[in-house]
Amino acid sequence: MKKRLLQAHKQSPWRVQLQWIGLFLLAVLLVATITGLYLSVNGQAAAAGRSVQWLESDIEDTTNEISDLMTKLAKAQSSEKMAAQAEELGFHLLDPENAVYIVVPGFDPDSPVVLAPPRANTVINTPLIQDSYTSSLWDWFVTNIWRGSDTASGGGN
Amino acid sequence: MKPPFYMRYIILMVVCAILGVGIVFQMVRINYSSSAQELIDKSANYQGFEETIYPPRGTIYDRNGHVLATNQIAYEVGIDLKFVSDPESIAFSAASLLELDYADVFSQASTLQNGEDEYRYFVLASYVDEETVNELQALKESYSERRQEQGTSTPSLSGLVWTGMEQRSYPEGKLASNVLGFYNYFSRETAQGVYGIEETYNRLLTGQPESIFMPNDPYQVEALPDIDNGASLVLTIDRDIQAMIEKELADAIEWSGAEGGTIIVYDPENGDILGMASTPTFDPNEYWTYKETFPNPTPYNRAIGDAYEPGSVFKVITMAAALDAGVVEPSTTYEDTYGVYWVENTWPIYNWDGGAWGEQDMVGCMQHSLNVCLAHIAVDLLGEEEFYKYIQAFGFGRSTGIDLAGEANYPLRLPDNNQWVVVDLATNSFGQGIAVTPIQMVMAVGAIANDGQMMVPHLVRSVVDNGQQYDVASQVMGNPISAETAQTLTSMLTTTMEEEASQALVAGYSLAGKTGTAEIPTELGYTSTETNTSFVGWGPSDDPQFVVYVWLEKPSISKWGSEVAAPIFSDVVEKLVVLMKIPPDSVRVKSSAE
Repeated sequence: MKKRLLQAHKQSPWRVQLQWIGLFLLAVLLVATITGLYLSVNGQAAAAGRSVQWLESDIEDTTNEISDLMTKLAKAQSSEKMAAQAEELGFHLLDPENAVYIVVPGFDPDSPVVLAPPRANTVINTPLIQDSYTSSLWDWFVTNIWRGSDTASGGGN
Repeated sequence: MKPPFYMRYIILMVVCAILGVGIVFQMVRINYSSSAQELIDKSANYQGFEETIYPPRGTIYDRNGHVLATNQIAYEVGIDLKFVSDPESIAFSAASLLELDYADVFSQASTLQNGEDEYRYFVLASYVDEETVNELQALKESYSERRQEQGTSTPSLSGLVWTGMEQRSYPEGKLASNVLGFYNYFSRETAQGVYGIEETYNRLLTGQPESIFMPNDPYQVEALPDIDNGASLVLTIDRDIQAMIEKELADAIEWSGAEGGTIIVYDPENGDILGMASTPTFDPNEYWTYKETFPNPTPYNRAIGDAYEPGSVFKVITMAAALDAGVVEPSTTYEDTYGVYWVENTWPIYNWDGGAWGEQDMVGCMQHSLNVCLAHIAVDLLGEEEFYKYIQAFGFGRSTGIDLAGEANYPLRLPDNNQWVVVDLATNSFGQGIAVTPIQMVMAVGAIANDGQMMVPHLVRSVVDNGQQYDVASQVMGNPISAETAQTLTSMLTTTMEEEASQALVAGYSLAGKTGTAEIPTELGYTSTETNTSFVGWGPSDDPQFVVYVWLEKPSISKWGSEVAAPIFSDVVEKLVVLMKIPPDSVRVKSSAE
């Protein structure tokens, strides 16, 4: 005759069920939390992407507007308009015989227009977009936690 | 003992299991079905689109920073059929404001309502100006207010849309149009610079367009790559000098009855072109009309594209060669007894007036522009080898290398050409039988004004690219003559102008120069009634800061350069010295001494 060993004491079935339910709910909670985080970050990234699109469009519009305003300014200051305005105000081209000349030491009548700084040999090495904007959570974990702990433990050797 | 409703739980469990398995089965089936690839391919159309980004075209400035060519906003007006609700209003506004055909626009706007393809966009008009678009916007808003007041759905311009785009603009209109060229912007993909600076520096001005993929999914959006804008150019042209010489040229053509002309102002020290006027001109803002203004074979810029026989202005080059070769000095005399010079006893060369001028020194030969004297110098003193060596050293027979598209060059007929005859040597000495462009003459004469050093003429002073300004270095073409020869000849030609009481003189300024009256070759020989008149001069004589070249084609008022081109030179220089802030000689010399 086989002996059946029975536990003298065991948890009541409802307790066991509760524990399983609890574990299951914990897992669901964990998944839900990660899913929520993922959706939140992706949502923000998508919103940022949409902002980038709008900003790129704004940049183009602004660039066009700047060009347009430069053109309007150039038309308003055109040679023909300036000459007409000068004539209206009573000015006329100077007769060299009537000109009074004053010698100004160091004056260069033909100084070149400077629209931008002169050429310089500078190279910018700093990347514009930092790694923290492009690396994933896993990359961050590996770089800063995993490898960081290795460095900390082996650093003294 | 089984709990109550045990079977119901089991049935529910089985049903859920079946549903779950069914869902999984359907997902797998769809993914591997024959239509799956078709759906994937179709979805690719909605993922995004390829777009070519064109950087803004560079701006062109004059030497003082005034804008000569830039960009402005224009609009593409179109119909987005998805949003059209009132085709009649759209057709009406397009017909009245855009001057389009009502029936055509109505037909296009009604496409969706006729049940045709719903996802279509029609372009109604391109490069519509801002004023017209503002009128469309105002009309759209007034319709909207009316609909709100009346509670109706019409009238409505919904579906009529406009997008900003870049349009090339020349704020100064016709000014310097022969130098600038134009940009044929209508078709963005094939647009390019045509003629002038726009063509020569097209790649620099255009920048580097780039094709990129624009995703519809905002999660996949990345910042656009940095695309280099087109570089901007600072020209050597002075806007005020350019405006002045264009006006002088227009006035000159009107009073002289000339068919055309050109005026060039050039800095002999560095080769800068301060002004270059040519006829005809046109407004590059309406570039599509250029063929009406420049029917074939009219060159776009006569100053560089029109070769002609220069006449007596060329005597400056012959005399420079003779002085530099040491075959003559200013005091060397020539006996003009009969007013004719015989080339190998076969071909007669006559003076411009058919007369004889007796004994003349070299100053007299230039002052009275004696063809016989110069022919004698070229044939008897210099010889063909030396003469053509100097002609080529002065840059004739090849391009100057000026940075403008459309430069012409007429090859020299040299002694080794089997069509050359010795009389060519004689006639070339006074500028006949040889074809040059105005810019070639200016460059060559510039050597005489610059102590023998000949500078390559150029129009770009600086390039502004990526936020930095690069100055373009001047280039030396060569040293055809010595500094001493240049100064001697300048002194001679200053004397000739003063003693001749030339109409080219400007009070208070010492100038050197030479008139030119050239007969025009035709199929029947040279004309005697129609001529090309010219004048080339430089000053101040002791420190030349400009060379001015004036050329008028076939003036009707007089055929002589001394009567037509010389006074124009004087008018130009009188204004030029003010614009360049060059004091009279008395003031300048005094201030230098102090």
